[in-house]
Amino acid sequence: MFKTLGVSVAPMELNPRDIVPEFWYNIIPDLPRPLPPPRDPPGADFSRIDLLRDIMPQEVLRQQFTVERFVKIPEEVRDRYLNIGRPTPLLRARKLEEKLRTPARIYFKYEGATPTGSHKINAAIPQAYYAQAEGISAVTTETGAGQWGTAVALAASMFGLKSSVFMVRVSYEQKPMRKTIMNLYGADVYASPTNFTEAGKRALSRDPNHPGSLGIAMSEAVEYALKQRWKYLVGSVLDVVLLYQSVIGLETSTQLEAVGEEPDVLIGCVGGGSNFGGFAFPFLGHGTKARLIAVGPAEVPKFSSGKYEYDYPDEAGLLPMIKMLTLGREYVPPPIYAGGLRYHGVAPSLSLLMQEGRVEWREYEEPEIFEAAKLFSETQGIVPAPESAHAVKAVVDEAMRAKRDGERRTIAFNLSGHGLLDLSNYESMMKRFKS
Amino acid sequence: MRKLVVYDTLGFPTPQDFLKFSEGLKGAGCDIYEVGLPPKYAKYDGPVIRRSHQTVSKFGDLSGSLKEAVEVSKVPVVVLTYLEEHLDRLREFLKSLRESKVEGVLFPDLLIDFPDQLEAVVSKVRSEGLKNVIFTAPSVPDSIIKRSGEITDMFLYYGVRPTTGIPIPVDVGALIRRVRNMVRSDLIVGFGLSSESDLRSALRAGADGVAVGTALITELEGRGVTGGLALVRKYREILDGA
Ligand SMILES: Cc1ncc(COP(=O)(O)O)c(C=O)c1O
Repeated sequence: MFKTLGVSVAPMELNPRDIVPEFWYNIIPDLPRPLPPPRDPPGADFSRIDLLRDIMPQEVLRQQFTVERFVKIPEEVRDRYLNIGRPTPLLRARKLEEKLRTPARIYFKYEGATPTGSHKINAAIPQAYYAQAEGISAVTTETGAGQWGTAVALAASMFGLKSSVFMVRVSYEQKPMRKTIMNLYGADVYASPTNFTEAGKRALSRDPNHPGSLGIAMSEAVEYALKQRWKYLVGSVLDVVLLYQSVIGLETSTQLEAVGEEPDVLIGCVGGGSNFGGFAFPFLGHGTKARLIAVGPAEVPKFSSGKYEYDYPDEAGLLPMIKMLTLGREYVPPPIYAGGLRYHGVAPSLSLLMQEGRVEWREYEEPEIFEAAKLFSETQGIVPAPESAHAVKAVVDEAMRAKRDGERRTIAFNLSGHGLLDLSNYESMMKRFKS
Repeated sequence: MRKLVVYDTLGFPTPQDFLKFSEGLKGAGCDIYEVGLPPKYAKYDGPVIRRSHQTVSKFGDLSGSLKEAVEVSKVPVVVLTYLEEHLDRLREFLKSLRESKVEGVLFPDLLIDFPDQLEAVVSKVRSEGLKNVIFTAPSVPDSIIKRSGEITDMFLYYGVRPTTGIPIPVDVGALIRRVRNMVRSDLIVGFGLSSESDLRSALRAGADGVAVGTALITELEGRGVTGGLALVRKYREILDGA
């Protein structure tokens, strides 16, 4: 399979259809040890696993639990991928290399090139497609920064579905433009915690000015989907989302092969882990020797302070427990922090690979990622999403390390999104970190 | 011949009916009898089997029933229980099973929660005169499924759903085709397998047999021993006919 995907021709001759894969890749059969499965809590009053059947589209649930190394991408989904501009570009960051005077070659997969400005659309399209095929009329989800909400709003409109998005209140207030885009695509957007779900009411009764969290918004979206008999679309963390995101890494691998490159280091940022897994896991499937580096914020220190244990993905505990690195489902990130990646847990497969030492991690503070974002903007011209700026910072560090070691390493990273709708975040950082 | 593995919780629905059910199994076409010891935390069990654990907890010490069930059933008995609760006193526990003339033991959480102890536990089980039934699932990587197929003693158990008794939609055929050619041992498929179509897909995809539990517990709850045994006979027919 991998061999046929790796068409070895000059880049000019690559046709988009040769690069966009025909199959998604699932890492589970290739993990170094068994992946602990989702499960119900001890003495459960109801079965969360059973409830999943009402929460998720059937086919999405089927793909979550029917573990196969390769899963055929339906023609209609592949067609949509091509239609939104997949494959996304693989670019070489020559000006950044020159600025750093590094012998390393730096490549980035630019997921900001999709219409919604991030990789999230890769997982929204198949889920909306399956929901529609099952006769569902509307979908719900949560969103933090608004990237996932935007992806769901677009994917839903592509397939004639209504959508409702629960947006974490601080972001809702700081990012009115994100709401505008979602509305433009036809979605209803609510600031979470709302008072139309039990999970929302509980949070508001604790604190009427509750800033919200992804965990709470997730519980609200799930509860609302159950109440309305709609379906909930999941944006990260679950294996099936990382499966859908594997288009990123599969394309990258074909594109790198076409220019005769073999990566030595692969880098991505981690919120729930979907862009990282999507980007890096297909390389593990190839048996890559490359070092893998997952990057997160020091302000949401799930790598350094998280525990590897069974926890709920959502705050209310409506979803089954999964084994992951987690800061706890009730975690609320610091309110002034503007760097994104605020989710409390890490996808189970990625958590396992980090526990095993196969994936390294870094945590950076906001001023550091701000500086990296500025450097990337000035040299390469693309304003990275604050989330992706975490990856950029690690890339800069690795490029400097290659320089110290005097080695011509190939560094590839995933630029998961652009930051053109996150300018208020950068404005806040400029005010706070002006030297 | 395809193998029919029947599950019941020790002492369910009542200690008397449990023995009656055990006694009728061989005649109804059961090949292997899996007896569940109620754990503190039934990690991978759905509501029906959990409820059976609660029911039997009212009957007090049932260790005598295990020995009796082995005697009357006249088919090999495999005890199913979670390793987590026996790890501290594993040797004594295995000895007690051996004294009840149990043939094998299946720990559903061995590979998943204690992957590093796989080989050690397997040899400890053997040294106590028991056989291993290793439990695998779709979340187990290929390399470890292969290894498990090499070291399991009676057969390899492959649970196709995350939890017993909950009909999560899965492609049973695809799941079995993934592992079928990786193992030479007998492959017995279970977990949420009760519908006829599921059973047939499993067999068509190359399973050497099936394990059924929740559907039988439900039948025992509703129609008692007669209903339970009738269902066992029905599964036997499917296995022989499919
Ligand atoms: C641009 C961007 N990158 C990364 C992430 C982190 O999520 P994940 O780790 O699932 O890719 C987000 C999350 O919203 C995002 O918007």
